[in-house]
Order: sequence, then structure tokens, then C-alpha cells
Amino acid sequence: MKALTENGVTVNESVTPVPPTKRNSGFWKSVLQQKYLYLMSLPFVIWVFVFSYVPLWGWLMAFQNYKPIKSFRDQKWVGLKNFKELFHDERFYLVLRNTLAMSGLGLVFGFVVPIIFAVMLNELRGSVFKRTVQTISYLPHFVSWVVVGGIVYKTLAIDGGIVNDLLTHLHIIDEPIQFMAKAKMFWGVVTAADLWKETGWNAIIYLAAITGIDKELYEAAKVDGAGRIKQMFNITLPGIRTTITVLLIMSIGHLIGIGFEKQFQLSNNLVTDYSEVLDIYALKYGIQIGRFSYGTAISMFTSVVSVILLLTANGVMKKFTKESIM
Amino acid sequence: MKSKSIKTAFTLMLMSSMLIAGCGGNNNADNSKNAANTGNNASTATATDSAANTTADTSPVTFSFFGADASPNWNKMQDEVGKVITEKTGVTLNAEYDVGSGGGEQKISLMAASGDVPDLIFAKGNLSKLVDAGLVIDMTDLIDKYAPNLKKVYGDNMKRLKYSKDDQKIYSIPTNAGVDQQSFDAGGGFEIQQRVLKELGYPQVKTVQDYEKVLKDYVAKHPETDGQPTIPLTLNADDWKIMITVTNPAFLTTGAPDDGEYYVDPTTYAAQLHYKRPAEKEYFRWLNHMYSEGLLDKDTFVQKDDQYKAKVASGRVLGLISQEWEYQDGENALKAAGKDEYTYAHFPVTLTDEYKDHSFQSAGVDASGIAITTACKDPVRAIKFLDWLASDEGQVLMNWGIEGKQYTVNADGKRVIPADVQKKKTDDANNFAKETGIGLYTALTAHYGDGVKDSTGNYYTTNFPEQIVAAYSDAEKETLKAYKATTWKDLFPKESDFPVKEWGALYNMPTPTDGDYQVTFKKTQDIIRKRIPEAILSKPADFDKVYDAFIAELNKAGAEKMEAEYTDLVKARVSLWTGKDL
Repeated sequence: MKALTENGVTVNESVTPVPPTKRNSGFWKSVLQQKYLYLMSLPFVIWVFVFSYVPLWGWLMAFQNYKPIKSFRDQKWVGLKNFKELFHDERFYLVLRNTLAMSGLGLVFGFVVPIIFAVMLNELRGSVFKRTVQTISYLPHFVSWVVVGGIVYKTLAIDGGIVNDLLTHLHIIDEPIQFMAKAKMFWGVVTAADLWKETGWNAIIYLAAITGIDKELYEAAKVDGAGRIKQMFNITLPGIRTTITVLLIMSIGHLIGIGFEKQFQLSNNLVTDYSEVLDIYALKYGIQIGRFSYGTAISMFTSVVSVILLLTANGVMKKFTKESIM
Repeated sequence: MKSKSIKTAFTLMLMSSMLIAGCGGNNNADNSKNAANTGNNASTATATDSAANTTADTSPVTFSFFGADASPNWNKMQDEVGKVITEKTGVTLNAEYDVGSGGGEQKISLMAASGDVPDLIFAKGNLSKLVDAGLVIDMTDLIDKYAPNLKKVYGDNMKRLKYSKDDQKIYSIPTNAGVDQQSFDAGGGFEIQQRVLKELGYPQVKTVQDYEKVLKDYVAKHPETDGQPTIPLTLNADDWKIMITVTNPAFLTTGAPDDGEYYVDPTTYAAQLHYKRPAEKEYFRWLNHMYSEGLLDKDTFVQKDDQYKAKVASGRVLGLISQEWEYQDGENALKAAGKDEYTYAHFPVTLTDEYKDHSFQSAGVDASGIAITTACKDPVRAIKFLDWLASDEGQVLMNWGIEGKQYTVNADGKRVIPADVQKKKTDDANNFAKETGIGLYTALTAHYGDGVKDSTGNYYTTNFPEQIVAAYSDAEKETLKAYKATTWKDLFPKESDFPVKEWGALYNMPTPTDGDYQVTFKKTQDIIRKRIPEAILSKPADFDKVYDAFIAELNKAGAEKMEAEYTDLVKARVSLWTGKDL
């Protein structure tokens, strides 16, 4: 039996030198050599194609006055009308501000806190306690936003909400604060709720990366006299730097497409000026009133911005940290 | 090892081909839908032949159904009435209802976008989305050929079923309200708990000032209810319910009938957003005053539907401004717990003495209703099903239940509900509905309203004066007696005090989905739902400023043009229904 290397190609075959002059035939040759590898990735390529590229066809709707009843050929083409309307709507800039503000806050806190949490958790000695904390902390991830919305409302309520009870008992405030009615607090509430829900879950990947760090490094550091804090900054954090970079780039790519579940569940009429995000706007002014073309124009805008953000983040990282995802 | 990797590769290929097949399946579904779309006429034609032999087809068939109003007691037709319906018609409904207070808007919007509709749909206010997407079939011929009972129930009102003056097809049959309904009971107005009235010696409650005084006096005496702070007044502003408890009372207290978001001048038919009426500004000023006095719950504009209902169910809310169906779940919980004195009395409260509550002005036959979609493979079977339900047999079954179980017929031929059944129905309403199915099916089809008698001289519905009084709890009876009334309705101005509205109920009138109308309407709605709470919560000194800015903002968003467009629609409707030339 021949030993397999990591990429599924037998050692004997992979060392065959490829003549640099015949690049083209070399490509096909390597395809042939790695045919199982290609065959195995094929379903996923098809999957991506079907679910991520085929729907792009629908973007054409953004340039039409789309009516579901008509066939494609009968649709009326309107050029950039939908985009013009979008960029002339004041509300659009308001929701764009909200989207960026909330995702910016989410990025800063939702990114930094799990790393700190993972590093701290890693420093814990007792394995039973550590695992218990880890499990408890990621459980909220599986709770749907509908339920989380209810929990947040109950927690922040003025009669019997635990936060207000605590603050009044500690005499930090005299009157209970109506958190959910204060539009300016909405971003903070969303970020806090998101932190509660996702910190534990997001920390898992860092914890996994930390276990991959060679234990000898810590031992060597100890011999050299490095304390716990020094070990954290000189071994643990640099050890997971690659993971951090990759996740940072990806979350920057998602900056503008933050979804709408949280905002939808947590918002009320008093805070709409701060809670409405692009996706809710697309739902309200697109699908809900049958303006499919307008909705498509909005989603096209978000996709394009996302790609630009992703490429920029990737480029910047590549330049400064030599690490990137592309 | 090599053979193993080949196996793996094939497994993966198989998986990928399954993926592709899955996508292919989608296309097939689309095609079949198109087929159903075009095959419409064909099926009608073949059905014409089968209509000749009038034997009812009771072979098992399942129709999918979506209802835009939540129906928490729906029991998949496993209730007693449902079983009989399936037995008699062969039809099983695979029903899905909207959850919460969404009114079906999200789901129906998506249906219109995807073309993926159930066979039958109760679309409430969103029918026009489906009609414009070409997903609803015209029922005119179907009703003509196969639905004698529907024709009988609607009678002279058939022309009111037409969609609009430009498109005179019948896309849905009004089912959300009974035909020739005479209300015997009032479920609206302003509500006050029976215990409050009793303690204060049944004071007169006519104007908002009276109402305010009652709440204020009682809460001063009893700041706590069962250990929790008493809430004098709370409203439900979650999603569309803001209209029921916050904005609609503005026109009801100022002498205007319910025309959705508009007010229509009965002589010129000119429509305007009702918020623009000066009298309504005064109503909102009163709410603002209630808030600054601490009488209006601070949570009003923050709480969600379920929190509101939980508050009502806790019994610590003294007053509501709502409709009984809106807070029913909460009140049912109180009844089930035996706390009858915590349930609510209804008063036709107005802003000042000069106004009259128009709750009972009749709109004639005009209600949202059920539609058959292009996805329905057998529209004839569907209409026959609806027709059977609309028959005398069907209506009695849906309203009364099964003879010998939920009602008996006495020696005089009168239908009677036995006392133990009635007790269960009153005290444990949710479980009663779940088990028997009574009340779950009426909104599916045309039905007579309260006060209409069938050929046996019995009422079709279980709501008639004696029955209504029988269903009252002792606490309610006591309150009514003190006000010298037998039903809540006796306190309200009667139908006969007002002319029938020539334009029906405008919240059911389809509006154009093309053009700017929907966008402007949505914008005005956003402004209303944001600014009305803001105005109510503002400092009393700032109220005028906030309210005037609100009206200006509406106009800036294009309200005036939208109102002009709406006025034209109202006029077209009046002329279609009455034949007046406008």
C-alpha cells in the first residue's frame, strides 16, 4: 500500500518533475494526476455555482420594472431608475448609517471580546470548570433571536427588569431607565445582546487555534522566566495571529450585510430611526409593497459594497501583515 | 486503498448529482404551476360536464390553505366539527396561519414574489398583491355554476364582490364578516374593569374626561393589584395593532366611522388621512395628557404583543382602549382563573359630548375573504367545498357544532346549548374551540351574521340576545344592570342611527400596487407609527409643535397626492356599487 500525502496524491507520482516550458499540458497532467482530488471538490464547486452564482441572474431585475406575472421577455427595462431612486431617498442614508454603525460596533466588540475570552479561558487550570464555562458560554448561540428578543425586553423592562432593579438597588440611578424607548441606546443594546449570544461560540475557533500551539514553546518561555502575562502576549496571541487575521478579513466582508434578525426583534416604533438596517429597508420598501426590482437594487448595492470591503481589507492585510485569504 | 478512494469519489459524485436533481425539481414545480395557470379554463370546462350529475364528490382531497390571521386553536381538523366537514365533503384542509400579529403581510409578500401559493388563501388586506401577481383566479363563473348557497347568502350584494370598477372579476368572496350581521354585542369602545366600576359606584362614563377620572380615582385608592403595581391604562402599539388601540380610537371618539387610515367626507367623497382632522389632534393631546399624568403605562410603545397580553392576563390593567378580539387571549386567561371582576366593560367614550360613536355604522357586505389560487388543481372542488360550508347544514355545523353534543333541539324545535357546554365555552374558551372546532371555520366561507334566522326559525349563529346574555359572567351582568342595559351594545348608538356607508369598508378596498401609491403609503405609515408615539410621549408644552411637524412631514412625503388618488378610488367604488355617476 502506498502512503498517501496530505492532498491524497501518492508520493511517487507527486515528485514527477513538471517541465516548465509546457505549462498547459502540465496543467492537464496534474489534473489527471490529482483526478480524485478534483472529483471530490467538484460537488462543492457545483454547489457554490448553483447557489451563489446562478441567482446572480436575478440581478437583472434591478434594471427592470419586474412583475412576477410577466415572462422575462415581457419585462420592462428601466435602466438605472431604481438605483437613482435609491440614492435619492433620505431614508436610505439613514439606514446605511445604522447598518454601518451597528456592524462597526459588532466588529469591534464581537471580534475583540471573544479573543480575550478565549485567551483567558485558556489560562484556566481546572479542566472541568473550563469546559463547563465554555459550554455555558456558547449555549446562547443556539437560542433564536425571537427568544433572545423576548429575554432582552424582559431584562431591560422598567417594572421587574433585572438591569433596572440592580441599578436602582445599587443607587446608581434613581428612576428606572426605559432602555428600549431610548433611540440612542439602541445600538448599544443590540451590540450587548449580540455579545451575550455569540461570544462563547466565536471563542471556540480561537480556543481550537490555541490548542494547536506547540506546548514546548510555553515550557521554553517558562525556562526563560516569562510569566503568564508575557506568555499570553508572546506565545498565545502570536500563535493565533493567522486565525485572527482571516476572521477579521471575513467579518469586514460582512460589514454591510449584517442581516436583520436582531434589529427586527428588538426594535419598536420609538427607535426605528436608529434600528432600521438595509435589509429591513429592503423588506419594507421592496418586497412588502411588491417592488421586487427596488429590493434587488438594494441587495445588489450591498453585495457590491461587501466585495469591495472584502478586497480592500484583504489588500491592506496582505500589505501590512503578509497574511491574507486570497 | 485505491478502490476505497474510488468509492469515495463516486459517493461524492452521486451527492452532487442529487444536488442537481434537487434543483431540477424546482423547475418542475414551476412548470406545473404554469400548467395550472393555463389549465384553469380547461378544468372549468371539464367540470361543467360533471356538474350535470349533481352527486357530491366526497373522495378525499387535501387543499392547502393560508390564513392571514393567527388561529392558535386550529387543530388540523381533528376537532369534532372538522371531522364532520371532512366526512361530508371529503376535504381536508392543510392549513397554515400567520403567527403573531403580522396580518400575513410578510408571508403573502413572499408568496407574491415566489409564486408559491397554497390552494386557498385568506389574504386579508394583502389580496391585491396576489391579484397583481396573477396568482388568484376569477370565481365569477365558478360561483355561477357550482355555488347556489354562496349566491343565496350574498343575494343582492353580488355586485359588491367585484374587485374594482376597472377589473370587475370576483377574486375573493367576503368571508371575514357575516352577511346581514346585526350586532347584539359591542366589543369595542373604551374598556374598564368591572371591579373598578363597582367600587366607584358605577359612575357615568361618556367622555374621555369621565374615563380619565374613573381610572385616576381607582388607582389612587389601589396602587397595587395582587402585589404588583396597578396599571391604569395600557395600549398595544406592536406592529399593526397600533392602529387598533392607538390610532383608530382617534376617529371613533370624534364621530367618524372606520375607514382604515382615511377619513372620507360623506358628501364630496374626498379622502384624507384621518390624522389631519383637527378633532383627532385633540384626542392625541388627551393621550399625551394621560401619559404626563402617569396614567398611561410607560411601556405602552415599547412592549410587544405578548407582553401586553400578559399584562391584561395579570388583571392589573384597569382600562384598555381596544377591541375585545384584540385582548381576548388575556381576558380568557382571567376568566379561566375565575377572576370575572377583572374582565372589562365597554363604553362608547367620545372626546366631548358633541360626538357620537360610529362603531356600528354599517358598511354593508364588504370584508376581506377567501380566494382560490392558480395553484389549486381542482377549483371546482374547492368552490363546492366553500359552497357546502355556506349551506344551512354547513353554517349550523360551524356555528353550533354537532347536534346532541354541543347543542340539542328542544320540543319547540329551538336549538339550545346545554348549560355544561355553555359553561365550558365561556370559562375555557380556548380549549373548547380546540376540541369542538366551533368558530374555527366560519371565516372560510360566506356566512350569515348574527340575528339572521334559518328556515327552522333558529338563528344561524350562537350570538343572539338571549345567548349573549347567557354567556355573560355574573360580574358583567351586575355591571350591565347598574347601567340599565342588557348587553354592552345597548350603551352604544345603534346601526339605524346612521346610513349604510356607500363605499363599504375602505380598509378592504384594493389599492394600486403599481406606481407611487404603495411607496407613499408606506412612507406615511412609517411616519405615523413613529410620530404618533413621539407626540404622545412629548412634553405637553411641545405637543402642538410635534403634531404640526408630523402633519407637515406627511405632506412632504406626498400625502396630498396620495389622498387625491385615493379619493378617485373611493368615487369609482361608490359608482360601481351604487350606480351613481361621479
